[in-house]
Amino acid sequence: MDYFLQQFVNGLTLGGVYALVALGYTMVYGIIQLINFAHGEIFAAGGYMGVILLSYLASHGLMETHPWLGLGIALVLSMGYCAILAIAVERIAYRPLRGSSRLAVLLSALGMSIFLQNGLMLTQGVYDKAYPTGFTQGGIDFGNVHISLMQILILTLTTSLLIGLNLLVFKTRIGKAMRATAQDKVMSALVGINSNRVIATTFAIGAALAAAAGIMVGLYYGSVRYDMGFVPGIKAFAAAVLGGIGNMTGAMIGGLIIGMVEILAAAYIPYGGEYKDVFAFIILILVLYFMPTGIMGENVDDTRV
Amino acid sequence: MVTAVLALSLAFASMGMAKTLKIGSMSPLTGSYAADGNDIANGARAAISVIEKQGGIPGYDKIELLAQDTACDPKQAVASANKLINEGVVGVIGAYCSSSTIPASEVLAEEDIPMITPASTNEKVTERGLPYMFRMCGRDDDQSVVAVAFMKDYLKAKTVFIVDDKTTYSQGLADNVEKLAPDSGLKVLGHDHVNQGDKDFSAVLTKIKDLNPDVLYMSLQNSSSGALMLIQAKRIGVDAAIVAQDAVYHPQLMEIAKDAAEGAYLTFGFIDTEKPAYKTFLEAYSKYGKPGAYSAYAYDAAMTLLSAIKAADSTDPAKVKAEIMKMDTAGASKNIKFMENGDSGSNYVIQVVKDGKFVNFWDPTTKKLF
Repeated sequence: MDYFLQQFVNGLTLGGVYALVALGYTMVYGIIQLINFAHGEIFAAGGYMGVILLSYLASHGLMETHPWLGLGIALVLSMGYCAILAIAVERIAYRPLRGSSRLAVLLSALGMSIFLQNGLMLTQGVYDKAYPTGFTQGGIDFGNVHISLMQILILTLTTSLLIGLNLLVFKTRIGKAMRATAQDKVMSALVGINSNRVIATTFAIGAALAAAAGIMVGLYYGSVRYDMGFVPGIKAFAAAVLGGIGNMTGAMIGGLIIGMVEILAAAYIPYGGEYKDVFAFIILILVLYFMPTGIMGENVDDTRV
Repeated sequence: MVTAVLALSLAFASMGMAKTLKIGSMSPLTGSYAADGNDIANGARAAISVIEKQGGIPGYDKIELLAQDTACDPKQAVASANKLINEGVVGVIGAYCSSSTIPASEVLAEEDIPMITPASTNEKVTERGLPYMFRMCGRDDDQSVVAVAFMKDYLKAKTVFIVDDKTTYSQGLADNVEKLAPDSGLKVLGHDHVNQGDKDFSAVLTKIKDLNPDVLYMSLQNSSSGALMLIQAKRIGVDAAIVAQDAVYHPQLMEIAKDAAEGAYLTFGFIDTEKPAYKTFLEAYSKYGKPGAYSAYAYDAAMTLLSAIKAADSTDPAKVKAEIMKMDTAGASKNIKFMENGDSGSNYVIQVVKDGKFVNFWDPTTKKLF
């Protein structure tokens, strides 16, 4: 039982990270029906910004005296940076193509992904960059089940960001505008909603969440690398599709399922560690086979962003 | 005026005469193994700078290294080999991953181009009978023998859990350890595989913690994966002694894993850092940073190739090979003496991470601590 609970916590942590990244895919899809393949690279850029900021703060001694303040600063700045980066990506790669065929935008997204990844490689080098320590040890024990400080941090941060996002989407003006644009771009524009601004905001919010996930991953695993965005990007995309692309709750559930399947497959199935990605995608295929619109459905207009 | 014109035309004449000796290197310069791959190219560059300082190679004004990126991909390695053939290289240092070295060496063999691998430890590399294939590093079968001997004789281990990441190298080593373990009274509690590029090892490490083996044999072809596994093993609370192998060796391991790397053991070719050949290497290499796992081997491989060309006064493969086989000199990594099959022998010892540094720890021949 302890073993299962321990693996459950592992799965929850990994799933939380996927969920944060998946939200960006699903929000952008919900609003302009675009699979933003550059999203994984935004996640990587967030991780890099985090390591740069934390190293800078550590070199000035802040991480020794006020580690949580330092982390907060790094988190906020890196989320802001990625938001701006995503707005720029949207301006350069997607807005000029709005109205052209979906294939053109998709190719533009793939191109952007490759461009950003190579940009990271050329500016930051091919070697791993190590995160300064400070948060990696410690935690709570429940009997034999150990929840590390980083796992607590990831789960708390993920939960609070998700709550914040829900409040934003359902309780604020911009949230209402986002939902309206998702439902009908033309009509909402006619009633005076600036759809370009709403779309840019959606990109920015998704990117900020991905940046938070990037820092969490960097801290949790201790390092970042230029190509770190690719695999989590694919997994998070799968999570978004699994949950019902365009559906926020679905993206969170999808993320948790993918993370959990990965860990439990590695924990219980012989050779599971080797084929854990396969199991995650088998689940995806099965769900889509029986529920073509994903677990939460695709076209629930009320909850769709 | 006349002298100036004369000087200028002489300068042009000598430029026209300029001959460049081209050698190739093949290693992953991007991707997961970029750290080791760049170490190899830099090791070869360091050797060229030493040879040029010693007066170069008669008949050539310049030695040029054409460093190719294989990305540890067999297809790209074959393409690189073809490219190097077209460029007219006289020898190749590489190609790191055994799975790349083997197909690339067959392309080079058709043109009789000597290839010296600084890093491919799989047995098959030299066991196919290619006449111009040489190996500067040790072999997997020798490496796993040392690892198992250490577990049994020093750690007095009864149980072992094996993890590899499915490369020809890491799985080859892991399989050898699994095969040898029962004879040494070691019980293999499990043998799991992870994927290259995985970041999350929490599932397999939780399993290991649950089974509580005496040793975790960490067979990963990458210092950065190794660092991630060490960090997570410490965090999850795995008590087993961790034994890794030479591909995990890199200063980057401690930079990333920090305290979590302390006490990890690894099998590594013995290097006497006090000998003059090593010091020459270290000085020439210093502009590229700290040497990684295969820097010294790559340096020795390039040194071997260039000295053989110099001694033979020819780039004819047969003559170069004859010179290579004649050699019996002290290299930076080891004593360079090739056997008939192209191997140069293994000299694995156990190193340990202590105070953020790799130090020699246990000698398998004497079964004693250093």
